[in-house]
Amino acid sequence: MTAFAGFAGILIALGGAVALVVQGARGFRSGRRDLVRWPVRAVLAGSVLAMGALEVGLLTDDFSIRYVAEHHSNDTPLIFTIAAAWAALEGSIVLWGLVLAGFTFWVYRTVADGDRIGAGALAVLGIVAVFFFGLMATAANPFEVLPDPPLDGAGANPLLQNHILMAVHPPMLYLGYVGLTVPFAFAIATLAAGEGGKAWLDRTHRWSLVAWTFLTLGIALGGWWSYEVLGWGGYWAWDPVENASFLPWLTATAFIHSAIVQRRRGMLEAWNIALVIATFALTILGTFLTRSGVVASVHSFTQSAVGPALLAFLVVILIGGFGLFAMRAHLVASTPRLDSLASREGAFLANNLLLSIFAFVVLLGTLFPLLVEAFSGDVVSVGAPWFDRAAIPISLVLLLAMGLGPITPYRRARGSVMWERIRGPLQVSAVVAAVTVLAGLRSVTVLATVALGTFIVAGIGRHLHVTARRRPEPYGRAIVHLFRADAGYWGGMVSHVGVALVAVAIAFSASFDVRQEIDLAIGETVEFDGYELTYEGPFVQDEPNRQVIGVVIGLSRDGDELSKLRPRLNQYTNQVQAIPTPAVRTGLSEDVYLSLVRVDEGGGSITVDAFRFPLMWLLWSGALVLVAGGAWSLIGTRRWARREPRALEGVRG
Amino acid sequence: MTRYRAFVIPVVGLVVILGGFLAFNLGDNLVYYQTPAEAIDRQEEFAERRFRLGGQVVPGSVGEDGGSVTFQITDGVATVDIAHDGAPQQLFQEGIGVVVEGTFDGSVFRSDTMIIKHDEQYRTEDGGVYTPERRFPSE
Repeated sequence: MTAFAGFAGILIALGGAVALVVQGARGFRSGRRDLVRWPVRAVLAGSVLAMGALEVGLLTDDFSIRYVAEHHSNDTPLIFTIAAAWAALEGSIVLWGLVLAGFTFWVYRTVADGDRIGAGALAVLGIVAVFFFGLMATAANPFEVLPDPPLDGAGANPLLQNHILMAVHPPMLYLGYVGLTVPFAFAIATLAAGEGGKAWLDRTHRWSLVAWTFLTLGIALGGWWSYEVLGWGGYWAWDPVENASFLPWLTATAFIHSAIVQRRRGMLEAWNIALVIATFALTILGTFLTRSGVVASVHSFTQSAVGPALLAFLVVILIGGFGLFAMRAHLVASTPRLDSLASREGAFLANNLLLSIFAFVVLLGTLFPLLVEAFSGDVVSVGAPWFDRAAIPISLVLLLAMGLGPITPYRRARGSVMWERIRGPLQVSAVVAAVTVLAGLRSVTVLATVALGTFIVAGIGRHLHVTARRRPEPYGRAIVHLFRADAGYWGGMVSHVGVALVAVAIAFSASFDVRQEIDLAIGETVEFDGYELTYEGPFVQDEPNRQVIGVVIGLSRDGDELSKLRPRLNQYTNQVQAIPTPAVRTGLSEDVYLSLVRVDEGGGSITVDAFRFPLMWLLWSGALVLVAGGAWSLIGTRRWARREPRALEGVRG
Repeated sequence: MTRYRAFVIPVVGLVVILGGFLAFNLGDNLVYYQTPAEAIDRQEEFAERRFRLGGQVVPGSVGEDGGSVTFQITDGVATVDIAHDGAPQQLFQEGIGVVVEGTFDGSVFRSDTMIIKHDEQYRTEDGGVYTPERRFPSE
């Protein structure tokens, strides 16, 4: 019954999507909004029904549904039962469809009668929806029924039911990933209409920011999950699937910046459209890499017929999108009027160029193993050091551009103005760099990152201070006013501060991490890089879905006990491999991170992987600041832009 | 337009140089993955090179030799002797799938990194494969 309702939901949504393509195309010609009303509702209702049925199936332990039988069991805890709906291939596509339907409905609500571009964008969203709901109805049907239902299911993948973050990380990523479909839809509709102008951009800029904010949050949560849960001692490994989420993030970041140039100066229109198409193609590529099993990764789902379908869809997007672009871009292209390279526009160009090169490099490293395998048959992977070596110089130049760009005037920057603006920040940056050297740091990369990070933050601080002082209100209220009246700019600056913090944290944690494998007998104390670890004893805990074997290790420094750490191994009933849960002590200067490798002689002796990572709290808080900046730009521009007279100080330059 | 050109030409040059450099560099940074049969076939080619070797731990082959764990892994075709430095993970045992990373030292493969293979299919206590219809075949 549940399976029937769910499949009916998929069919309703699929029918709605097909109707949306047809009616959207008609609306695109006539501008009639009422044509798409029912198709949009059908897609939304169908996808809600499908997702609801899947959750009901999981919550009522309906093992007659193959998906439930394979990814759920009677003893799975509630939260992971709910999350099981997106923990495996078929279910993840249902969630994808639901998010897409939600976004489609949201777009529909912004479309007014006579809005041809809006109707066209809905038709494009319809095409994407046809593909995904078509997948659910055929190759990735989550409601396949078993003729002979088992009494209990196999349970979720242990890696995925090991931590609560697994319930949050994928939906955030999907909100970001799927959200990028909306700018793509508007870009295609604009191309099809052959009308330039910044109307499509005013609308998609917001969407891109929504998607970007969720994508950033999703990536940060993924890194945190990897660090706190996986126990291999890191947060980023240039794994193909991590790269798959990072690639559209890079191009979406580029678009958010270049869209500002177009909105304010009417430049780069064709480039913006190309960027949006590329971003969407990269999300489909990422989905293909994750879902097809062509790359081995912790994230990959089982191999299935979904892979070829996604690849075919990617080809359609690339040929259709860029084909349309090649034929019609001249209709929308703006005439470039770059007055001088030494200007805000020039800085934005540099930013776009750097982000595009960054994306190209990551794409090359991610796809290269596929090429090698296709031509020579060798199975290879690209080592993380290669990515590091390429990413570091690009990131440093990006940081420099971030420090200069936002305080550079539009049109033309006079040397004297620039010098006045960067003098203070440069001095602060030089002092901080000198202190860092005196503190004993000799790594050039870390020093450069610290200097540039300080330069960025100091530049923003100076700009805020100077701008606020010029206003008539008292200083504090002037700052509040600026943040409200020009939320787009100052939200962006908050994000820049976040990037600076993240960059410094990455430089430190990657350059000064320490790893040591330590054997301990019960009661024994071993020195670890300035700390003492004392093995106090093992413990065993039986939980419904797993057995936890843990050890208590006292962490002390110079004889003072700092804390007791409890790294654990979780043995799930449905898998041979034990999943470690590391124990982390977060400190102001560094984290001590213990991961249990093995327990011998009934707990008499153990082996742990001990790590020391500096400044990890800065990484997580920096990521939060980055997300908060994006959210502020969104909420602020919506709430206050109309109420308060626009303060041009922030952007006038 | 001329201003653009002044910007575009050096940029394209830069990208080409960077791209060439990267592609050239990539070859040295590839980590190959091989099965025991392939590894023995291409032992000379990979004499000094690090690579990953994956296979099943041969039952009865696990031993110890001066601080390193020794065992053999097989893909059913060929068998390679492994000497692994460091403590193997909790679930390291005979018959399990592992991926080790290291270099050949004569006929012995010296590894310093070991991953217990993360199977897509979950296995039962007796090594059988779970299916929805048959969760505990031993019962």
